[in-house]
This record gives sequence, structure tokens and C-alpha cells, in this order.
Amino acid sequence: MSRIIVVTSGKGGVGKTTTTSNLGAAIAKQNRSVALIDADFGLRNLDLLLGLEERVVYTAIDVLAGECRLAQALVKDKRLKGLVLLPAAQNRNKESVQPEQMKKIATALAKGYDYILIDCPAGIELGFRNAISAAQEALIVTTPEVAAVRDADRVIGLLEAEGVNKINLIVNRVKPWMVEENKMMSVEDVLELLGVPLIGVVPDDEKVIVATNKGEPLVLGEYDSLPAQAYLNIARRLEGEKVPFLDLMANQGNLLTRLRRMFGG
Amino acid sequence: MTFEPTISLDKNDDQPDSSPLVNRYAQIYLKHDDEQMLLVLPSQAEISADLPWSETWQELKHLLQTKEQSWQVGTNVCLVAKDRLLDARQLQTIAETLDDVKLSLLTVSTNRRQTAVAAATSGYSVQQQAVAQPLIKAATDSEETSPLADPLYLQSTVRSGVEIRHPGTIVIFGDLNPGGKAIAAGDILVWGRLRGIAHAGAQGNTQCRITALQMEFTQLRIADAVARAPKLRPRRLSPELAFITTEGISLAKTSEFAKRYFFSSPSKAWIDHNQAK
Repeated sequence: MSRIIVVTSGKGGVGKTTTTSNLGAAIAKQNRSVALIDADFGLRNLDLLLGLEERVVYTAIDVLAGECRLAQALVKDKRLKGLVLLPAAQNRNKESVQPEQMKKIATALAKGYDYILIDCPAGIELGFRNAISAAQEALIVTTPEVAAVRDADRVIGLLEAEGVNKINLIVNRVKPWMVEENKMMSVEDVLELLGVPLIGVVPDDEKVIVATNKGEPLVLGEYDSLPAQAYLNIARRLEGEKVPFLDLMANQGNLLTRLRRMFGG
Repeated sequence: MTFEPTISLDKNDDQPDSSPLVNRYAQIYLKHDDEQMLLVLPSQAEISADLPWSETWQELKHLLQTKEQSWQVGTNVCLVAKDRLLDARQLQTIAETLDDVKLSLLTVSTNRRQTAVAAATSGYSVQQQAVAQPLIKAATDSEETSPLADPLYLQSTVRSGVEIRHPGTIVIFGDLNPGGKAIAAGDILVWGRLRGIAHAGAQGNTQCRITALQMEFTQLRIADAVARAPKLRPRRLSPELAFITTEGISLAKTSEFAKRYFFSSPSKAWIDHNQAK
């Protein structure tokens, strides 16, 4: 049974696309086949983050228009067997696709891949409705900021109304030292408000920006970066494995060494 | 009752906008009626101009989601469409949505001929006006005298962006999150954390109260009084109750409220026994 999962957040700039690309790579690393769908028509980025931009020939719009077959439009990642991307069109906007069409594409892909990850655009308009139309599960990405959490809450409500009830939460860009000094919402604060199960905590790291600009998912690069480990852990949790979380609020010891120990172990 | 908004900038007006009356923004509601259930759509006049169909449908889905299990499987539903125009496709969408939660659409009550024709063509029983008439009357009754509707019991958390309006008492078995809003003509009870906006007695009843296991509200309104959250709050919160006193909205521990306060009809507020002496 393949799983169709939408990665969404409501607010922009919290790391949906980064999460999709890294998670896609992390799942593929576990020898699972993954198709990533970029649902952000008109503002596509996923191909950039994966470093696949120059290999995009056809887009989802071409598939829908019948100008190419679905398999032709899929861009295969050379570094990882089993990871493919269905790019969005950059020269169209979100109104050029309908929810039913997205559903058709996702269900067609589900026949050949274990995981379908849909990168949802920011907002809750048509682009969002397109992205969630086919989804059976959702990953909510939020940062520990009031605005991001508020939007995540709204999106969870909308997903529930659409009957997407399997919702997991990723708290992105956590700065342990700021949480420690009580300057940032803690993961617990976020969880308490949203009331959905946590599947991953990704610490803030400059390496993410570097990797993004290089077009290489962190997961594929330096093995021991903390965010990369966090994404790999999320992929394992998606598979049903029990992997311990970071305990950010624990007070003893040097925090970073504790984190490394938890991730490394 | 049409509602014409006037837009003007009055800089001296620092009074926060107080009471969006429940009746004005009547929304979809579902109620038990003997053997069947009534699904009542707001009439054309009650919704502001033209609410798109997708919004109405969204609202319906949300309503069914939160009220699930308050009925028996296979209960028949009578759709009270009032003067709303519905085509065959929209009726089908409603029927499918109801089907998902094990309700079956049986009857359509309307006072629009086109809707009646569409319903009849799709094979539903049609009641023209029979049920719709008294309901419309109830909604347009004067605000003071209209009796409160049955309490609305919600079994889920009210999340950001969701606004629950009900011409009676609202009970939320879950949290009321920031960005969420509950507006009731009666009381509001939150069996969880109240972190959003709650407005009790929205039709002017100052006797109405708001209670929650944990009061962490953004704003509370009772009748036409408004209160913002105090800057300092105790770390450990116990169940509290908000009510109107002669000095505005006050909070008291739920366990102490009954012992300390009584409602005085002439002053239209709750009064502390100790101060009254």
C-alpha cells in the first residue's frame, strides 16, 4: 500500500519545501521508492532544492494536457535510486489545475511508488486545496513562532474537515539555546496547542541554507549534521520505527553534546 | 432582515465593536426533530450577499465533523433550504456529504420552485414551505423574546479560523484555540482551555456566563462588555468563570462562584454577597 502524504503549513517560509526534499531523500535512502510532487504551481522550488532544475523537461501541466506521459515527466534523481520528482509548471498559476486533476496524478503515481510526498504551497486557497485533494495523511511543518503555529492550527482544522485525519507534526528550526533561555516557544508549547502527534523536531542549522543553495539535500551530504539526522529519523518514524526524540528542555549537561548523543545513538 | 454595513472612520470611537448578533449571521445548523433531523441552511437574507457555495459546503462538512455520533446510523434528514437556490449537483453534494457520516437525505423543504423541481428530479420528497415557514419566523422574531435554541455540543477542538455561532448555549468538549471564536446567545462552557475569543449572551443577556477549565483567553465578551486578558496570570490555572459585574467582566473560581455571587435583575449584573451587605 503506498502512502500519499501532503507536506503543508499554512504560513510560508517555514520549510515545507526543504522538508519535502530532505524527507524524500531520507525515505529513498531506506530503499523505498518515493515520488515528490511539487504542487506549488507558478512558484516552483522543489527542483532547485533537489538540484534537478536543468533536467526538468515536462511538468505536471504537460501531463494533464496530454502532451506527455506521466513517466516522461518524472525526473529521476541520479544520486538516489527510487527518488523521482514531478515538477510543477513555472509559467502557470495555481488556477490552472483543479483538485480532481491533482488527485488523478497522485493516484496514478501511487501505483508505482511506496511514498508520494506532495509539497503544498503556502496559503489556504486553491493551491492548498489542490495539494490536499489526494492526500491520505499530512505532515504539518511549523516553526516555534506564534504566527506559524496559528496558521498550522488553521490548516489542521481544514484538513480535518476534508477528512484527512492522520496528521503528524514536524517542528522545524528549533533553536535549543533560545528555548533554554525562554526566548522561544518550546516544542511542548507547540504540541500543547496543536494537539497532533509529533513526528520530528528539526534543529536550526546554517548548513540547511548552504545545502539548499547547492541543490543538494542535507541528507545526502555530510552525514553527521543534526538536521540530516532529524530528517532520517522522521523517515524511520514514518516507517513505523520507534526512534527517540530530542529532549530540548532537559537541563543537565552541554545541550549540544546531549543532542548529538541522542541523534547518534 | 437585511444588514447594510456602514463604513466610516470615527477616531473617537475607542469602544471595541461589541455584539455581532447571532441572528444576523445565522449559519448552518443541525437539530433533532422527532424521528428525523433537520439540516437548516441560512436563508438568502441571513447570509451576507452571496456566500459562495463552496464556503457553505465547507461549513457543512465542518459541522458534521464536529457533531458526529450525536445521531443514530441511517437517520433521515430533512434539508430546510428556505429561499436558497440549490441545483441538482449541489443537492447531490449535500446528500453525499451526509452519506459519509451515515445520514440519509430524504426530504427537501424549500420555498423556491426551482429548488423544489431539482429536488423532485433527484428523487427526494419535497415539502414546499411547510417546514420552512415557522423556522423563518423563529429566526426573525424579536431578539429579546426568542427562546434559546438547544445547546450545541461540540466534541472537538475549535481551531484557528473557525467561528462557531449558535443561538443558544455552546458546550465545547476540547479547546478553543487562539484565532478561534465562539459566539453564543446563551452561556459558553469549554471543557478544556479557552485561548481564543468567546462571546456569551450575544443577544444582550447579561446573565450569561463563560466558563473553562483553563482561562487563557484572547478576549471575552458578555452581552456588550469586552474584556482582554490580564497581563499577569497565575501559573497554575484552576477552572474559572467569567460574568458581568457592575464594573465589567470579572473572573472567579468556578468552585467559589455560586457561594459568592447572585444575579441582580435591576442592575443587570452579578453582585458579590459581601459587597452587597
